[in-house]
Amino acid sequence: MWKEIKEREFGNVRPNLFSSRISKSRVSSIQLSNYKEILSSHRGSVNSLQVDLTESRYLLAGASDASVAVYDIQRATDHDERNLIAKHKPLFVLNKQHEHGHKYAISSAIWYPIDTGLFVTGSYDHHINVWDTNTTQVVMNFKMPGKVYRTAMSSIARSHMLVAAGTEDVQVRLCDIASGAFAHTLSGHRDGVMSLEWSTSSEWVLITGGCDGAIRFWDIRRAGCFRVLDQSCSQFGRRQPLLLRPTTNKKSSPASQSSSAKVRAHHRKSANGSALKPHTVGRISSLVKTAKQRSHPGMLSSHDRATAHYGVVTGLKVTGDGMYLLSAGSDSRLRLWDIESGCNTLVNFETTRLQSSKAIQMAVTQDSTLAFVPCMAITKVFDIWSGQTKSTFRGHYENVNCCCYNALDQELYTGGNDRQILVWSPPKFVSDETGEGKNGKAAATDDQDNWSD
Amino acid sequence: MNKKITELEPSTSRKRRRDEESEAELDNDDDDSQSLSLEENFTFSDTLMALRMMRSQFPRTEKVTVQPFVLRSQLYSSLKDRTQVDMELESLRRDRVLRIFKLNTGQDDHAVMFMDDYINQIERVVKRMEDKKQDDIRVFEWFKIHVIQSKLDTSIGHQELFSLLSWGGKVREEHISQLINAGLLIRQLIDQNMYWFSIPNIGSVLKGLSQGRKEVLSFLNRRKYKEMMLVSLEKKRLRLSPLDMRFHLRDLIGSGHLKTIQTPSGLIVKIAKD
Repeated sequence: MWKEIKEREFGNVRPNLFSSRISKSRVSSIQLSNYKEILSSHRGSVNSLQVDLTESRYLLAGASDASVAVYDIQRATDHDERNLIAKHKPLFVLNKQHEHGHKYAISSAIWYPIDTGLFVTGSYDHHINVWDTNTTQVVMNFKMPGKVYRTAMSSIARSHMLVAAGTEDVQVRLCDIASGAFAHTLSGHRDGVMSLEWSTSSEWVLITGGCDGAIRFWDIRRAGCFRVLDQSCSQFGRRQPLLLRPTTNKKSSPASQSSSAKVRAHHRKSANGSALKPHTVGRISSLVKTAKQRSHPGMLSSHDRATAHYGVVTGLKVTGDGMYLLSAGSDSRLRLWDIESGCNTLVNFETTRLQSSKAIQMAVTQDSTLAFVPCMAITKVFDIWSGQTKSTFRGHYENVNCCCYNALDQELYTGGNDRQILVWSPPKFVSDETGEGKNGKAAATDDQDNWSD
Repeated sequence: MNKKITELEPSTSRKRRRDEESEAELDNDDDDSQSLSLEENFTFSDTLMALRMMRSQFPRTEKVTVQPFVLRSQLYSSLKDRTQVDMELESLRRDRVLRIFKLNTGQDDHAVMFMDDYINQIERVVKRMEDKKQDDIRVFEWFKIHVIQSKLDTSIGHQELFSLLSWGGKVREEHISQLINAGLLIRQLIDQNMYWFSIPNIGSVLKGLSQGRKEVLSFLNRRKYKEMMLVSLEKKRLRLSPLDMRFHLRDLIGSGHLKTIQTPSGLIVKIAKD
């Protein structure tokens, strides 16, 4: 450690490289925290966790007993008697007794991306509430047509304040908290939408994963989705840099350009049904003439039936650089997609089972090398490009639903059906703490003996 | 490449097989060559080699009515890097060396079959239909020539199927029903306009597959510590499945239901807990 600091001082190592080396070594040593504990006050399974994006100080948790709690993860509320473990109690808890609180389970709780003055919760009681953090009052309420599975706000948005909501209804709704009304709806999915994420590279792009197994990319300024991910369209790992790339077609079967073609803006010229090659039109029997009806260019995507998973898409996570998308499905597969080309990169993540009835929340480290995925009762750490399991975190008694990575401290928070929120952090040695004890007695040092001298 | 596959028949001479495999584990095999023990042949270094080896070990009894195929989970258990397996399978599929079929026995079951074996299987079915004096088997020729060669995925849409078959001749609804009756296509449950490609006459084998899986898992579950030495487990005969124990073990280890532990006295197979 001191050697590295000296190297940075002398200019042998750039500051960025120095900090990334330190955080990489810390991340690789993450284990169940031996100095920090969160005392969860939830009476139901923890469904959603998010650390705030501005200071990485407050953890927002939403649970199945309609309770929302905020924890300060940098300042402990009290310590145990030997000053070894810092306990973090919630700063406040909002539950069913609150006059405008939710009545059923909360499936998603997210911070307002700009500051921690507001947070948004979505619940199975068909409502989305926008809360003021300081007064803990509901300032806005949106009623949805079905159970809300997920809500999301774009962290890079500069010109809109839209909350995207995925419900058991087939349409994705965008709610505007500036005006209190619905902005518009996005149609195209054929079943409910269980997971959604905003893109980290464009404030206008929303990615949704549905119960029909499809993952769709929407540009909210246009109608219809502009891309549907197809698991059979694949490429081998990372794309080559532009100058070295060969000019062959990356699609799996060169002859099948027609049926599962991605709908792009310049394909709107052939807008007479999506599934036909022009020169075979004459041979089609009368049964398939219905596909030739003219449809709105934005609605062409509804004919595209490509699926990204063989079951429900239960989790989505975009990497921080906006280039790759990790998706989890109820077919117990994790897939890594290259967003720019829309292809499956065929990285195989070894997962035996993933929970299929509830959405899961995954996390990716800041340099996009490790992914944290809840698999039933354990959390697995995968290397994103090779798919190998780096380590497994066993600690919860029941299924893990959500995990959230705090890049500032290199800590991971996981919440599960056993109502606990566990903290996983790089180990801190006991001898570091003895100087700051409240008691003043150095009773914690292990190698001090009790003899008098 | 086709010639190499026909040469690789299970031979009685041990030396030829040793030349083809580069694994050191073969050096200490001492039992008869027809049934190489699973422990010695556990891992391979190359997907194509593993595929050929497993294809040659496919049981050919009179109860098994289908050409050899390999399950994807079996490949995962025999090669260390799963991503490499996926990528090599994808490139072999694009080169039309093999085809992948989605099976209905589980959430993510896929069967890998070499293209020649698949064509043989179709021809067997066609011959049987010819013997029964069914009329109009032209659709099978169209299917073989136009659809299989151009559509390499596991499923196909109704309109695309129609348009590809039309290259051969005038297509009617009865032709599609013939294909479904022969077992080459299966309607998808979630979407009526999509069909899965499937291997004809595979029904009894799939039933044996799922029953055999259950039998192996229940046998190990009933034991006191839910584990057993691989060598002795391999010698057991299965009551309900025509496929041999080695096939099922590879499949269950690859799909994560069983795990293997290396011990000083050999490999132990154990039920995986999570």
